[in-house]
Order: sequence, then structure tokens, then C-alpha cells
Amino acid sequence: MADATFAPIAAVAPPRDRLLITRGLERCSLPQFAAWLAPWFVMLGVGVYAVYLCLRYGLNETNMDNRFAFGLWIFLDLGIIALGAGAFFSGFLLYILKWRDLKAVINSAVILGFLCYSGAVTVLAIDVGQPLRFWFTFWHPNVHSMLTEVTFCITCYLLVLSLEYVPIVLKNRRLKRNSSFLVFEWELHRLVPVLAGLGTLLSFFHQGSLGGLYGVLRGRPFAYRAGFGIWPSTFFLFILSAIAVGPSFLILVITAVEKVTSKKLVLPEVKMKLGKLSGLLLILYVMFKSIDTLVWLNSTSRQSGFLPWEYYSWKPFGFWVLLSEIVLCGFVPGVLLIRRSTRRRPWILTSAAALACIGILLNRFVLTIQTLALPTLSFDRFVTYFPNWQEFAVFGAVIAYAVIVYSFSYRYLPIFPQEKELNHVSRS
Amino acid sequence: MFPGVDGFEWTFGHVFFISVFLAVAAALAMVAIVSLARARRDVASGRAEPIRWSSDFAELPSSFRQCRHALTGEAPHRICPNAFDCRLCANHPKFRQARADAGPDLLFGLRYPNHRYYHRGHTWVAPQPDGTLLIGLDAIGHQLIGEPDVAQLPAVGSKVVNNGEGWRMRKDGLEVRVLCPVDGTVLQTGGPEDNWYLRVQPATKPADLRHLLRGEEVRAWVGMEIDRLQGPVMADGGVLVDEFIRELPESRRDEILGEIFLEP
Repeated sequence: MADATFAPIAAVAPPRDRLLITRGLERCSLPQFAAWLAPWFVMLGVGVYAVYLCLRYGLNETNMDNRFAFGLWIFLDLGIIALGAGAFFSGFLLYILKWRDLKAVINSAVILGFLCYSGAVTVLAIDVGQPLRFWFTFWHPNVHSMLTEVTFCITCYLLVLSLEYVPIVLKNRRLKRNSSFLVFEWELHRLVPVLAGLGTLLSFFHQGSLGGLYGVLRGRPFAYRAGFGIWPSTFFLFILSAIAVGPSFLILVITAVEKVTSKKLVLPEVKMKLGKLSGLLLILYVMFKSIDTLVWLNSTSRQSGFLPWEYYSWKPFGFWVLLSEIVLCGFVPGVLLIRRSTRRRPWILTSAAALACIGILLNRFVLTIQTLALPTLSFDRFVTYFPNWQEFAVFGAVIAYAVIVYSFSYRYLPIFPQEKELNHVSRS
Repeated sequence: MFPGVDGFEWTFGHVFFISVFLAVAAALAMVAIVSLARARRDVASGRAEPIRWSSDFAELPSSFRQCRHALTGEAPHRICPNAFDCRLCANHPKFRQARADAGPDLLFGLRYPNHRYYHRGHTWVAPQPDGTLLIGLDAIGHQLIGEPDVAQLPAVGSKVVNNGEGWRMRKDGLEVRVLCPVDGTVLQTGGPEDNWYLRVQPATKPADLRHLLRGEEVRAWVGMEIDRLQGPVMADGGVLVDEFIRELPESRRDEILGEIFLEP
């Protein structure tokens, strides 16, 4: 860290909860913090009511039906699980490959991962219904289903993320005064590389299996893909796309927090490193995705009796969706992130990261919604689906939950090790 | 699928799948159990304070972690690798050993008597003829806090360790812990009115004080600390006033208190 000198700043009364806030970190006043949280709590409250309706009266409270058994919630699950991949990938790079620069973002990555996965598991529990029978999935698993692997892996990985989150929470100024908490945090932190290794293994399999889930759907030629052995190509594409977009999502969130708080939290070099990594992986993903699409268009789909262009004749899912996914939200941000001259400009870095995230969300949307919308039999018809308020409310509640927990973590935990130094220097 | 469920039969798939799942779950449980067991052992064996200091030291800015020999210019820019415990340092004996000099007791207008030893957490140690050690706040620490509103001192008979918590002080709603400069047992407690806080029976006889600053090191260190305080407190280059924490911007008092007493 750079030399620190005490520099004078304007006198501002410290927040009343200052003894809970890490020394040297400036935070807004308690009323301001409450005002920031209020709308998110309202959003969470509406979502909780929607959850009550769905659990009390069943899924007929939603616009999902037998055709659209996968809707907005599964799209949300797939999306946030892909975006949350920054947690395991950053952990792998920092603790296994020793990329020490990433220490600046690892806490944020872990918290985001925890929020993404806990949000996904919660929504899954609502979607599946009957939460009291959650144990059925473990006691009656279908060992031939990729969904079973996903369930087991996500459960284990959420435990991993919880264990990784604990040392961050125990770094709270008040909590660490307790010797037992302090030494537990210390000892747990020593074993974090084990957790990082386990997290990588689990993530690798469940990210892949989520993709495989669609790739094995023989009855849905739009999603069905050839592959290697029992693994369709989507298995590998989901892994690659998740690790490509994880660092981009980190950049996006950190930049958003910097904007909201008007503080520098991470050195620009760290963000650029994340951007370069994301760009390289994104280009690799786009390359394999393009090959996969060409194979599918020219071989796999034709063997199923479908001319590929038929899929894109159903509006609004035109060919533009495919182009947007691969070119606009894949190749373009990939190139912008790889080139030093472009990624060094903060607005381009952030925009490219946002495009990359949108691209992966679009991919998950296409596989979830477009797959189910398209007809597969001669007497079948194109069906559209639009979520109702209950589905949107639950969606919003997950976002609100994430914002609330992240806000508390930012306020009371030392998430960004460079924050003190960066803002100290800027005051001098 | 499992026993008790109609039609259940074990297959290789079941065994493999369940084995992998249980292995992962067991590994997670082991991480939690091992961490808890080690934490319990650390607390029982008195390692909590060294761990706390190690954790705090790692979070200090590099300028606060400078080696004592960097202060005197012998090893410029050297960062202490031993968390200010020179007794563990293989290189410390190779450097010039500072001794108490016969210079004035006043440094930058502050009283730093030559016969005392100084700790980087702004405490002093004065060996007594009976072999015990008196410990108090140094001039900068004293000027910063003045008379603390509350001083939480350790109980007589309790063990204290070098760089562990010596005592805690509260002032104007702020709180800080003061690092103990030596290992030993508390024989007596004083307070601000006595100008010393602890009388300690050192853990070794004679007391091992090699890790504490003396002579030219104290001059260099106090100079550095004064420089550090130039901005908010002494913009005109003047001397430290009593209770100068009250002269600081309110929003920065807690931070500066932590940095002066090495509690990030």
C-alpha cells in the first residue's frame, strides 16, 4: 500500500453506527442509508407476498403452464448462476493460480456468488413448490438426470459460498473484537484454498449440467445438440460462457457501487485485468459457439427433420436474436475487452462488460423461453408466454434481496481492501 | 430410491453418485470442523492475541509497517516481516543496535526520556530497580487522547503479551485498544493520573526488550509520526496541543486514532 498521510477534509459528522464500520472507511449517514434501502425493502415485501400466493395456491398463480413449465424464474436462475460464476473463477485464480491482484475483488466476488446462488436456490424452491419436501430431491434423485447433478452441486456450492462468506462477515469491526470469532475467521481463511478448489469442481459440473440439460432435449430440436459422449456441446459452452462473463459481471457491479457511493474501490488496473480475462474467454466462447451453431444449423437440426431457418420465422424470435447473441453481445465486447486501447477507457470497459452480461442472459433466455415457444410437431403451434405480476414480483424480490445484503455488507464489512488507500490518496 | 422406498435397488450409479456427493459434503464439514477445532485450540493456548495482531499488522499501510532500521536509514524502505517483534528477526542483530543516548529528553517539543524504551503503538516501558516494568502512554499518545473518559485495564494477575491488547481507552465516544509492549504478568494497574497504566512482571529475567525502540530510532520514529500528523493537526508546523483529537475533523478522529495506535 502507498504511504498514508493524514490529510484534512471537510468536517462531516460521522454516522451514528460508526463503531460497526471499519476504521478509515467513509459511509453515508444512517438516515441516508435507510432511505436508500427503503424502496428495496418495499420491492422485497411485494415479492414475499407473491411467494406466499404461489406457495399457498400453487403455480396457477403464475402464467406458467404445462407448455411453459420453465419461465421467467428459470431464466433468472440460469442467468444469475452464470453471472455468479465470478465467485468460483476468481477464487480459483487467486487461491489456486495465485493471481494476487484479484485479492482486491475476491470479497465482492464471494458475496455476489453467494447472493446469486442463494437467490437461485430460493426461486427454485418456489418454482418447484412444496418446500417442506425439499429433501425428496436428495432421497429420490433420478441418477440419470442432469438436473439431479445440478441440484446436488448447487446445494454443495451454496454451502461452500456460505463458508467463504463467514470470514468476510467476521471481519466486521465489532465482531472481530470477540477473540473466538477472530481466530475462527483466521483459521477458516487458512482453509479457503480448499473451499476454492471444491467450489471450482462443483461449479464446473453444475454450470455444465445446466447447459447439458437443454442439449439433451431430443424432443426440442432447437435446443438439442450433438456432443462428446453423454455430454452435449451446450455442457461445455455453458461452462465457458459462465467463466467468461463472471469477471465482466464483477466489473459491472463494482463500477455500479463506485457510482452509487462516489468512491474509488478498486484500482483501474485490476478492472482492466478482469476485462482482459473476460475478453479472451469471451472470444474463445464466441468461436466455439459459432462452430456449434454452424454444426447445429447444417447437421444436427437437419437430421431431426427441421430446416434451421424455420426456427427464426416465428416472430418476435427472428434471426436478429442469434446475431445479437453472438456478434453484438459476444464478439464486439470480446474485442473491446481484449484491446488495451479500448479497455483502458472506463466507459468502454463498463459498456463492454455490460454487453457481455446481456449476451449471456440472452443466451439463457433463448434456451429457456424460445426453446419452449417453438412448435416441434406438425400439429403443434407457436406459443407465447408473458410472466404475470407474481412472477415479476418474485424476480424483483431476488434483486432486492441481493441489493439489500450487498448494501449491508458494503457498509459494515471491509469488502474492498484498496478502498481506504484509494480514497485516502484522492483526499490528499 | 433409498432403503425404505419401494422398488429400491442399489446400482453402480447410485453408489458412485452418492459417494461423490458424500465426499464433497464430508470435505466441507471437515473444513468447518477443523477450523472450529483450531480456533478453540488457539483460544485455549492464548494464541488469540498474536493472531489478532498478525491480522491487524497485515492491514496496516506500508508506511506504518516500516522496519526500525528503515527509520534510521540503515535499510531504506524495508518493511518489517515480523510484525514488530525484532526478537524473531534473523537480520536485526546484523544491523546497528541503537542505544539510549545522552541527548535531550525533548523531541519536537514532546517529552521522550532517554532511559525509556518505546513501542510503535505509542507506549513506553521503564525498567524498575526491582525488575518490574512500568508501562505508559508516550507523549504523542498522551497528547492525542489527553485524559481518557474510560480506561479499561487488565485485571491484576492476568497475562499480557507483546503486541497483544494492553488496555482499552474511550474518549468522546471513540474507542481504541493500546498494544502491550512486553510479555508478562500484570502486577498493578495505574491510570492517566499516575502517568503510567501497568506495572508488569516480565516473562523473562532479565526482561527481553530488544524489540523496543531507543535513541536515534525514537528520534526518527517520532519525527515520522509528527510528519504524518502535519496535515490535520499542525498545518502551520506548530506543536501538538493537549487532547488534539478534538482539533481533528470529527469524521476523521476514529481513523486517526486507529492509525496512531495501530488498530486498523
